[in-house]
Amino acid sequence: MIKIENLHKTFGKNEVLKGISTEIAQGEVVAVIGPSGSGKSTFLRCINMLEEPTEGKVWFKDQEVTTQASKIQQVRKKIGMVFQHFHLFPHMTVLENLAYAPVTVNKTPKREAEAAARELLKRVGLEDKEGEYPGRLSGGQKQRVAIARALAMNPEVMLFDEPTSALDPEMVKEVLDVMKSLAQSGMTMAIVTHEMGFAKEVADRVLFLDDGILVEDAKPAEFFAQPKSERAQAFLEKVL
Amino acid sequence: MFKKTHVLLTLVLLLVFSLAGNVLPGQHKAAAKEKHNKTLVMGTSADYAPYEYIDTAKGNKIIGFDIDVARHIADKLGYNLEIKDMDFNGLVPALDAKRVDFVMAGMTPNAERKQKVDFSDTYYKAKQLIVTDDPKIKKIEDLKGKAIGVQLGSIQEKEAKKIADKVDNVSIEKRNKVPDLVQEIMSKRFNAAVIEDGVAIEYLNKNPDLSSFVIPGSASAGSAVAFQKGSGLTEKFNKEIASMKKNGELDQYAKKWFEPKTEKKAEKKSIVDFSTIMPSIPYILKGILTTLKFVVVSILLGFVLGTILALFKISKVKVLRWGADAYTSIFRGTPLILQLLIIYNATPQLTGYKIEPFLAGVLTFGLNSAAYVSEIIRAGINGVDKGQREASMALGVSYGSMMRQIILPQALKNILPALMNEFITLTKESAIIAVIGTTDIMRRAQIVGADTYRYFEPLITAGIIYYLMVMTLTVLGRMLERRMSRGD
Ligand SMILES: Nc1ncnc2c1ncn2[C@@H]1O[C@H](COP(=O)(O)OP(=O)(O)OP(=O)(O)O)[C@@H](O)[C@H]1O
Ligand SMILES: [Mg+2]
Repeated sequence: MIKIENLHKTFGKNEVLKGISTEIAQGEVVAVIGPSGSGKSTFLRCINMLEEPTEGKVWFKDQEVTTQASKIQQVRKKIGMVFQHFHLFPHMTVLENLAYAPVTVNKTPKREAEAAARELLKRVGLEDKEGEYPGRLSGGQKQRVAIARALAMNPEVMLFDEPTSALDPEMVKEVLDVMKSLAQSGMTMAIVTHEMGFAKEVADRVLFLDDGILVEDAKPAEFFAQPKSERAQAFLEKVL
Repeated sequence: MFKKTHVLLTLVLLLVFSLAGNVLPGQHKAAAKEKHNKTLVMGTSADYAPYEYIDTAKGNKIIGFDIDVARHIADKLGYNLEIKDMDFNGLVPALDAKRVDFVMAGMTPNAERKQKVDFSDTYYKAKQLIVTDDPKIKKIEDLKGKAIGVQLGSIQEKEAKKIADKVDNVSIEKRNKVPDLVQEIMSKRFNAAVIEDGVAIEYLNKNPDLSSFVIPGSASAGSAVAFQKGSGLTEKFNKEIASMKKNGELDQYAKKWFEPKTEKKAEKKSIVDFSTIMPSIPYILKGILTTLKFVVVSILLGFVLGTILALFKISKVKVLRWGADAYTSIFRGTPLILQLLIIYNATPQLTGYKIEPFLAGVLTFGLNSAAYVSEIIRAGINGVDKGQREASMALGVSYGSMMRQIILPQALKNILPALMNEFITLTKESAIIAVIGTTDIMRRAQIVGADTYRYFEPLITAGIIYYLMVMTLTVLGRMLERRMSRGD
């Protein structure tokens, strides 16, 4: 589904990604973990070209994303993204947030888009909030709306960048539950997270990044039981 | 909230277009029935009674000695007469730019003017008076150490210089208009002014405190008609003037306009007296529509252009960024009135297109406001969380849709107070267009002042009107702000 080859990214003189290659198969759930500043977000954002790679290639299905700057919008439609800080549109109601992109980008008739949006709201347990403005929702509710908004475009892949890091602890679970059920429905997902328990339970693979290098790529059971690299061991010692 | 804003916007647009629709085509047509099939356009500056002025209590018709003479001649030559009113200093440029066919404004031929335009023979000879409120000033020598006022660029300015050469410590102060000179005497800023007899008579009649004497040996300046260089009209006018002199018609007109009215030696008026200008207040009120049209069209132009400039400023293309920044720098770095005069006067000179005062004003204010608005909007856009942009991009939303529907609405909400402030400034500053003769509130107040010889009252009236307009804008802004903050 997604193929990444020798990905480099430099900000000024700071080389943040130093040649990363990996693949994400259809239906696979990949957890990306690593210390702060190791380049996890940058890695994720290069997949849908929110950051332009300095070197290397990214494919989405058969399309090379990195060369087709003009067609990037077509690709982005198929790649949903969820941010740490939600980034809901504050001047639109929850329902408008969900229906906006399908109507504007895909030219879906408004009625149809709203019906689909209501279905999604039901799926994330917020059917009673459709007329509310984001400012009135709790963090957990906001993140569930953000997930629903991304899903409204019927994406084939979902990218999550620390979706629960900005939440109060009691709200983490409601968001993780939504993500879990999404994973079970067969969605292809790449998740940057600090929730090791969640990674262990839901992910099919763990990517461990450190200092811009993909240090380990393993099954969660193996990775969490006995990481091969010293760096990963040190990291796990700190977080577990 | 989205829909309501749209409804509001549509209403505003409708208002603007309906207003613009009836203002853009030619501003004032000659009221006279079209007797002939050819028309001559005459330029004048209707604040020089009794040569030409507006009787504001009765409407907005320009009347006076020059007008009578002009009508007489035009009629004899087989033309209709159309009169264009403008600032005195704009008359020669207007001839130059072929905005008008001839100029009659009590204008005296001098060497400077003769370089640019042709003059007819003189049709009226005036004397220069010293007008003063100081009973001790009775002869030229009494002016020692005094300040005397003259109209800028007038023959009286030369006369004053001659006095200054003869008498010690005379300072010469210049103003754009004769009424200003009288007002300065009343406010004790000038001790005296040099004014032509025909003009001075009205002031002397109405103000018992003023006295006058003829400047001995003063150039008995004659008024003549000004034409474009090489105009065929000069000869035709000269013939008519000669025949009017011979058969006494000119003297009759002179008698009608220049003879002192004996009936009143006016009783001293109270310091503030609105009763004199009461009949002229409707005339001032009519300026509201002009000012409103002007402000609405300018704001809209400034807003649209400002938005485009703001987008240039945040674009990735260096040339656009540079261009927009240079634009802003120029329009913020030079005086508005200078921009106005350049656009009004330079456009005909450079392109041959005789731009109307209203259009010139709207263009200037729109272009100027755009510079400020673009800065406000740029700050507003930068103030919107970067995540909004990323979320839109990640959803595959195009740049245009993102700007229109996500970024700008949020930016607007944040900058509404600053924008409102800019619109209020524009409303007040719009008074500057009076300079190019647009009959807005300000210009009308000045005209009423010139007509009634009362200055404080019309200005106060204009001030109240501007204040009420600004208050209305402020209230509207607050309502809009409240409406837009519903999502919070
Ligand atoms: N737009 C940018 N300009 C310059 N430097 C950047 C930019 N974005 C990220 N960086 C730098 O790149 C490095 C990696 O950042 P990144 O956000 O990818 O790390 P991360 O692994 O997601 O960290 P965290 O866990 O704190 O989110 C950091 O040193 C950061 O300062
Ligand atoms: Mg990060």
